[in-house]
Amino acid sequence: MFGLFIFILLPLFSAVICYFIKNLKIQYGISLLVAILHLSLSLFVFLGIYHIQLPTFFSIDSLSKFFLLILSNVYFWTVLVSNSYLKRPVIPKAEGGKKYYYMLLNFYLTSNSAAMLSDHFGMYWVAAEATTLSVAPLIYFYRNEEALEAMWKYLFLVSIGIAFAFIGILFLTLSAKGTTLEGKQLFFWEFIRNAKQLNPIWIKASFIFIFVGLSTKIGIAPMHSGDIDATSNAPSPIAALMSGSLRLTALIGVMRIFQIIRQTSSYEFARTLLVIGGLLSLFAAFVYMFKVNNFKRMLAYSSVEHLGLILLSVGIGGLAFVGAMYHTVYNSITKIVLFLMAGNIHRHYKSREIDKVNSALNIIPKTSWLFLIAYLAISGIPPFGIFFSEIKIFEGILFSDKPYVLGFVMFFLLFIFVNMGKAIFTMLYKNGDNQINHSAERFEITHLNAIILLILLIIISVVSPDILYVNIINITKDFGLNL
Amino acid sequence: MENVLSILFCLSLFYVAVTWRVKAYVTVLRFQGLILAVLLMIPFIYHFSIFGIILPFTLLLVKVFLIPRYINKIILDLDVKRRIEPTIQQMFFLLLVIVSMIIIFLVSNIISQKTPLDVIPFASGFSAIIVGIYIIMFRKKLIIHVCGFLILENGIFLFSSAVASEFPMMIEIGILLDVFVVVFLMGIALNKISSTFEGFEVTHLGRLKD
Repeated sequence: MFGLFIFILLPLFSAVICYFIKNLKIQYGISLLVAILHLSLSLFVFLGIYHIQLPTFFSIDSLSKFFLLILSNVYFWTVLVSNSYLKRPVIPKAEGGKKYYYMLLNFYLTSNSAAMLSDHFGMYWVAAEATTLSVAPLIYFYRNEEALEAMWKYLFLVSIGIAFAFIGILFLTLSAKGTTLEGKQLFFWEFIRNAKQLNPIWIKASFIFIFVGLSTKIGIAPMHSGDIDATSNAPSPIAALMSGSLRLTALIGVMRIFQIIRQTSSYEFARTLLVIGGLLSLFAAFVYMFKVNNFKRMLAYSSVEHLGLILLSVGIGGLAFVGAMYHTVYNSITKIVLFLMAGNIHRHYKSREIDKVNSALNIIPKTSWLFLIAYLAISGIPPFGIFFSEIKIFEGILFSDKPYVLGFVMFFLLFIFVNMGKAIFTMLYKNGDNQINHSAERFEITHLNAIILLILLIIISVVSPDILYVNIINITKDFGLNL
Repeated sequence: MENVLSILFCLSLFYVAVTWRVKAYVTVLRFQGLILAVLLMIPFIYHFSIFGIILPFTLLLVKVFLIPRYINKIILDLDVKRRIEPTIQQMFFLLLVIVSMIIIFLVSNIISQKTPLDVIPFASGFSAIIVGIYIIMFRKKLIIHVCGFLILENGIFLFSSAVASEFPMMIEIGILLDVFVVVFLMGIALNKISSTFEGFEVTHLGRLKD
């Protein structure tokens, strides 16, 4: 019960407390404490130091352990910088909304942890929908027209997407008709164990609905528009949270149904669908990068690109699958740095448009250098982790039964890299017409965060801890993949 | 009995397809909620249990009283005009609904020969899902989009009763609570949209583009 308390109940209590306490500093202190406890326990569980017991509807396996640690990590860094973000000036209308910020963050942690730890499709659905509800008001943090439109679109599209996923879950029930699973509860592990008995047509329909529905939340093309608007208009810590962890919450749902379908005759169909979804996402990012004009939107598209690559690699299987798992860690860490630095640039230039950001390297050098390094990290430049995970993915695709996919992937990635670089270098180096006198940039907690995260990124990728490798291999075994 | 209720549910979809009034949508939501609650109560006529009756009553409370009242309040507060604003002619809309329903019923009948399921509730539920999507696609007013979403949700509920999937009560109540909070948040967003954009039609939302 201790695990349930720390992972789910404590953030919930904390959310309730944050609702009643009006002082933002106390709210920050409580939320940070919860984040530290959550991170510590998920790290202990991941390292195998502590074995948790969870009640019915919840259980932990290699995949949930792994994603939970990523969630805890992203959440911790987000909360850490939140105080400095809340001090920044906003329009008077937005001041009132600040008091709900920590409450919603804590509720986000509760629902996200519940979704990742759930082993029942119904519970997963309820928790995944709750994550949408917690994050939607946070998107409207700035209280401007764009934020309002983004919130509405996100709430509406994702709710419909999740409703589709629910239809998929009902189809899963239909696939179990006439088998030993009929009339039983929808536990993942029961379905995985008895997957061979399931009706292949209904399981196919179930996969389509769950995949398409959750795509709105993962940000897989062509269902990505709501997610892009939300990520690009939310405050930077929330955007980092969405890119680094919320998308994984939806991804775990797709991976669960994929784990079931893997043992049936519909496996090839599901693989093809994942590969197509991944390629479409890469294509959407590829097209957007040619006409990029908003740097936060560019980062949101970068998330579409990387989640697309992860999904494609899951579909390909083998070594690409291992690469995809590494990629989830590296992508989440790099995205925190990128979004936090983008937030600093936004604050300084009061615009998200690339044309309005000039000579950033001279004006805000600390932010700009970190932004540049993070860009190199996300583009797969060594010694950052994405280089290693992409190498694994490429090798996996090359030696799979679909080697031609590599051609498309490399083509898209190359142009995304070049065009993203063009936009970022314009922001950093291009001299502007109206040079205002700027005071020297102060060293802030966001910079410290970014430096620590980049060092962490290098350490994880260069040292490649055994425990991480073993856990990823265990996930691969759970999926029944041969390396 | 399930079949009769499902057919009544289908009739409400036809009414939605032809009506011009915004308030009629809310009435239909109330009616559909009532049908679903009665559907859930039927088993308890034969085997009564206090514990089991909690879910139908929660559903009744959420879908028949809370949500429709809340939507009515939004309509009053925002002074929404009485007429819905369709983007296609009502006649075409009705035709679209009829054709879709015929296809759904025929396909469901074919499916039922291989998989045991209750054809009428199954097809009615699926029809509501499709009609919900059509409403979202072919209506301008955002409040009607919310109603479309709720019709879709009602369809899923009926659909789940047809495939006889039984979720534990805690999860069912969780689902209802989620739906209620979604509508609540959409209501708040609608309020903000009407004060920010001075209108609540989908055409006002066009700022965010690539």
